[in-house]
Amino acid sequence: MDFPSTQFVPSRMMGTYEPIHQIGMWGENFKSIGNPSISASVIVEVDNKLENESETASHEMPAPSCKHDQEASKPFDKIQRRLAQNREAARKSRLRKKAYVQQLESSRLKLIQLEKELEQAREQQGLYIGGGLEAGHLGFSGVVNPGIAAFEMEYKHWMQVQNRQLGELRTALNAQISDIELRIVVENGMSHYFELFRMKSTVAKADVFYVMSGTWKTSAERFFSWIGGFRPSELLKVLVAQLDPLTDQQIFEVCNLKQSCQQAEDALSQGMEKLQETVSATLAAGQLGQGTYFPQVAMAMEKLEALVCFVNQADHLRQETLQQMSHILTTRQAARGLLALGEYIQRLQDLSTLWATHPREPA
Amino acid sequence: MQEAIPYKSYMAATAGGRSRLHNFLEGAGNGGEHRLVANGCENNVTKLVVENAVIVFGRRGCCMCHVVNRLLLGLGVNPAVCEVDEEKEEAVLHELSVTNGGGVQFPAVFVGGKLFGGLDRVMSTHITGELVPILKEAGALWL
Repeated sequence: MDFPSTQFVPSRMMGTYEPIHQIGMWGENFKSIGNPSISASVIVEVDNKLENESETASHEMPAPSCKHDQEASKPFDKIQRRLAQNREAARKSRLRKKAYVQQLESSRLKLIQLEKELEQAREQQGLYIGGGLEAGHLGFSGVVNPGIAAFEMEYKHWMQVQNRQLGELRTALNAQISDIELRIVVENGMSHYFELFRMKSTVAKADVFYVMSGTWKTSAERFFSWIGGFRPSELLKVLVAQLDPLTDQQIFEVCNLKQSCQQAEDALSQGMEKLQETVSATLAAGQLGQGTYFPQVAMAMEKLEALVCFVNQADHLRQETLQQMSHILTTRQAARGLLALGEYIQRLQDLSTLWATHPREPA
Repeated sequence: MQEAIPYKSYMAATAGGRSRLHNFLEGAGNGGEHRLVANGCENNVTKLVVENAVIVFGRRGCCMCHVVNRLLLGLGVNPAVCEVDEEKEEAVLHELSVTNGGGVQFPAVFVGGKLFGGLDRVMSTHITGELVPILKEAGALWL
């Protein structure tokens, strides 16, 4: 005999609770997840109705008494049928739940794996260090240039040291330290910039376009880019405004430096224009449209080698300008100058971040 | 900067006045630069160095050479430019190195008959302000 009491016993096989309560709970769960499992809630209602209708309480075994045998057999059959349906529904519900949970688990595992891969890729390629996703340096094959990967790691470290040094400069300027000690701090700051130029020179040999594009910098910094970095004359303008008061002699020397800088920049810019013309002319040589063009491309590649020289010369100019400024200024002024320069660049980087996260009107 | 080069003082500047006049006239319609081509002959190259206050040797079509020339022109200098063909390159470099005690590379700048250096040296001396006095002393600048 199939006693209805069995359904009130916790089923060890499924490891679930009373089916009625479980369905009630699960119905709620499905509702909240948005799963339109109407049958579950319907069964709950049916059960409630059933409980209300039948004289037998839900907690007791509705064993049919002899007295009510005749009248009770009909409703008893109905009850039996309903309870059987209930069991079936409960079983199906449990199966659905199991499937759903399994799906969740596997999605979670996949997510963890993807995150791991992304992290590894990031470390290898430093995609987010520059503050922007740039796949340009991957090239067609998607193979990462090890020179670039090495540079990005070094640059990340360079920025950390830079920020630390700026803090040291701030402290040193506010404290009462001797000129000699301040000189050391200034020298460290200068050397740090020279180190960057060396790093850039190395990676330029690996991929000059990478340096020229400024991928490794933030977007606002790139906006001011001139041959792979800042224009020395621009930075001088920023600096000089911060360095009052200057002696007349200093003003004279700084003016000369500004002019020399500008002249050198113009010469390099004109050289770059000539290089563009040369590469363009080389590529366009012969007939376009014939389909065979390897010789032209090979020749253009040769011409393009000069770009490495330009990057080196531009950095050389930056270095010389920095050196000359440090000769013109006193130690204290040089310290303030370095700090001003560092903070200016930090502001540019913050501008980039702000710009990237600034909410915009949908197009 | 205007290139105001009075004829008289230009003539009086050096002993090799005649060839200078020739170069000066040639250069008038050429944006201020005048081009001489070395034929790789030993004498020719050394002669060029001696005869010109400022001369720049470089590969034909070299952009770095262009940068040096532009910089010098911007200062008011009228540099002689020697564009060397690829075939003659080695010979010219060798000749220049021999008479100047060292490895010469293109672009090579000669001031006052002596090797001055490459673009690097031109840039650094320009920034430190040393270049103009040197040019003036060699008679390449009159301002």
